[in-house]
Amino acid sequence: MLKRAFAIITLLFIGLWMASALSGVDFGADRMLVGKYYLNNVMMETGAVNTVTAVVVNYRGFDTLGEVTVLFIASTGVGALLWRRKKERTARTEGSVVLKTGARILLPFIMLFGAYIFIHGHLTPGGGFPGGATIATAFLMLYLAFTSYEIEHRVFEPLEGLAGMGYVTVGLIGLAIGGYFLFDWIWQTWGWGHGNIGRLFSAGFIPVIYTLIGLKVGTELTGIVDNMVKEEVSE
Amino acid sequence: MIASYIGEFLVIFGTIFYLLSTLGLIRMPDVYNRMQTATKSATLGSLGVIVGTGVWAIDHVGSYAWLPKTIVIAVFLLLTNPISAHALIRAAYKSGIPLWEGSVVDRYKEALGAENKEGGEE
Repeated sequence: MLKRAFAIITLLFIGLWMASALSGVDFGADRMLVGKYYLNNVMMETGAVNTVTAVVVNYRGFDTLGEVTVLFIASTGVGALLWRRKKERTARTEGSVVLKTGARILLPFIMLFGAYIFIHGHLTPGGGFPGGATIATAFLMLYLAFTSYEIEHRVFEPLEGLAGMGYVTVGLIGLAIGGYFLFDWIWQTWGWGHGNIGRLFSAGFIPVIYTLIGLKVGTELTGIVDNMVKEEVSE
Repeated sequence: MIASYIGEFLVIFGTIFYLLSTLGLIRMPDVYNRMQTATKSATLGSLGVIVGTGVWAIDHVGSYAWLPKTIVIAVFLLLTNPISAHALIRAAYKSGIPLWEGSVVDRYKEALGAENKEGGEE
C-alpha cells in the first residue's frame, strides 16, 4: 500500500515536472530550423517525395544503419539466448480448418503488401521497417496456423546477412565515388531518375536500400519468431 | 453531387453500425454473444465507412484514386475479420469459457464427447 502510494506520488511529480517543462513550448509554433531546409531541398537533392524516408536514408543514413544493427543484434541475441542443440516445434493443436485455409489464402496478399510498402518507400508512408515487419507477420501467421511449419533456414539466414551486406556495400560505393559513406551516387553522380520525380524509378538509392532493409527486417523478425516458438527436445 | 450523397449516407450507415456493435459489447451476456455483435456489425460498419469515404472523395476531393484503395482495404477486412473472430471464439471455447446460463443446446460439446467415446484419439 505504502509502496504503491509512493510510486503514484513519484510519477505524479515526474509528470508535473515534464508538463511544466513542456508548457514553455507553445503548440503549433514554427520552430523549424533544419526542418525548413529538408522540406525545401528534399526533392532536388534526393528525388524523394517522402521527406521522412529521404531524411532517414539520405540525410541521416547512419541512424538507419544503427537501427539495422540493433535489429540484427536483437535477432542474434535471441538466437544465442535460446540456443539448444536440438530444437523442434512442440505446438500441440493444429489451427482449425478455417484458420489454415485463411492463412494459406492471405499469405501471398500480405507478402505482396509488405513488398509494396518497402518498394514504394520514397513515395508513400512506410519504408523498409514497416514492410519488413509486414512480411514477418505473414510468416508469423503461418507459424500460428500450422503446427509443423518451419522456415527454410538455409535460405533465410544467408539472405539476412546478404541484405545487410548489400546496404553497407551501397554505402561503401558511395564512399568510393562521392567521398563519404552513404553518398547517393545513383542520384548525385549518375543523375538517374532526375526526369521523373514522384514515379517509381526515382529517388536515387532509396528504393534500393529500402528493398534491402525490408528483406533484412522481414527475415530477421521471422528468425526471432522461429527461435521463440521452438522448444528443446530431449533425445 | 450524387456520389457525395451516397458517400455521406454510407459513412453514417457505418457509424450507426459501429455504435450498435459497441452497445452490443455492453449489453450482451457472455463472450460468444458479445463476439457475435462485435464482429458482425463492426465489419459491416467498417465496410460502410471505408467504401463510403472512397465514394465521398469522388465529389468532395475530386479524385478517383481513393475508391480503389478503400475497396482493397474493405475486401481485406471482409476476408480477415471473420477468420479472426472464428479463431477468437474457438480459443475461448477451448479454454473452457462457459456459455451463457440461458443457453439451451451445446452440440459442439456433445460432438466432442461422442468423438472421445468412439475413437479415444486426442
